[in-house]
Amino acid sequence: MQKMIAVDRLARPDEIILVPVERIREARIDQGIPPNNVMPLEEDFLKGRLHGIATGEMQAMEAAGRTLFDFPDAPWEFQLDMARQVWDESRHAEIFSKLLEYVGSYLGEFPESEILWSCTQVDDPACRVAGINRGLEGLACDVFEQIIRMGQKMGDPFIERAVDYVLADEITHVRMGSKWMRKLTEGEPERLEHAQQFQDNIDALFNFDGFRTSREDAPQVPLMLGDRQMDFDATLTISRETRLLTGFSDEEIDRLMKAAARSSAY
Amino acid sequence: MPDLGNRASAIGPQPIAERFIVPHAMLAAAGHILQLLASDRRAELEALVIPRAAAELRGLIDAIASGAYQRHKIIAHAKVNHHYYVKARLFGESAAPFTLQLRLGEHEGRWVIWEAYNLASGRTAWTR
Repeated sequence: MQKMIAVDRLARPDEIILVPVERIREARIDQGIPPNNVMPLEEDFLKGRLHGIATGEMQAMEAAGRTLFDFPDAPWEFQLDMARQVWDESRHAEIFSKLLEYVGSYLGEFPESEILWSCTQVDDPACRVAGINRGLEGLACDVFEQIIRMGQKMGDPFIERAVDYVLADEITHVRMGSKWMRKLTEGEPERLEHAQQFQDNIDALFNFDGFRTSREDAPQVPLMLGDRQMDFDATLTISRETRLLTGFSDEEIDRLMKAAARSSAY
Repeated sequence: MPDLGNRASAIGPQPIAERFIVPHAMLAAAGHILQLLASDRRAELEALVIPRAAAELRGLIDAIASGAYQRHKIIAHAKVNHHYYVKARLFGESAAPFTLQLRLGEHEGRWVIWEAYNLASGRTAWTR
């Protein structure tokens, strides 16, 4: 079996439409809507956001599996953690598929992008866990904290609890990433720095155009949910509390917040 | 996800929102465009594409063997706001099936092609 699957070789069944994220951005720009993510005020908001997460969970499952396969010489405990993560992500993919049904959507209603899989494109397991576990799963923790708040505001216990159960797992994945990023690079400061840079690049990738802010700085905009309307965050928020639970230091969170603020200035 | 049939008699939480209905006009336009592609009717196709995607469409038309395909099937569609990606396959008696993907969106009251690409040699829907 081939190692290091490239972004253009990710297999999908016929009924799924997988397109490069640049094309999805272009399609959104062509329609005069913000390029990077489905936003409140769009009729697709909740469906689109949950769809993005469902496909992200699937790619996270594949990524952990590929990490296990791509690095057979990594410590056995590392492999066990990756196998555990595959199991977790597969449950998450199922949970989000069911949540999609719950909000009147289904897998395949929207195109899937390769953006999460692109973060696997590195041949060092320390970089892989820095990028995926700390970068992407850290981002997932922020996204989930926000959806949990949305579920609370909607008075919807199903969304709130289902996502909370997933968040509990994601927190362990980030911690696992921090542990292995450090352990795999012990005595190799340059390799550690390289892994941290890889994660920084991924964090920057998802800071696009001021789309991320702190909870306090998030502008509130009307969000349509069926025939109901409520005010909610217009940005993707960074959750300090959740990040602390994942083992990020205050300094690391401050750096993330500053990077998000910087990107909004461009 | 299997269809649960009569949802009102299913146990557990019921959907809180309706599914979007795919516009019939979009599916009809897709069918028409696929027919034009299969029969190599360039002039008609060129009237149904936004200028930016014209070269992409020409490349796709050139890749389809003229007169080789008689039938088509829409395999999948996925929405981005009000535009739709449509993945489809052309079939012919003596030619290998040809897979392609379009992005259709309304422009000046008509469904037109915003993107067109050849997926015939790809493993997935990926193309640059």
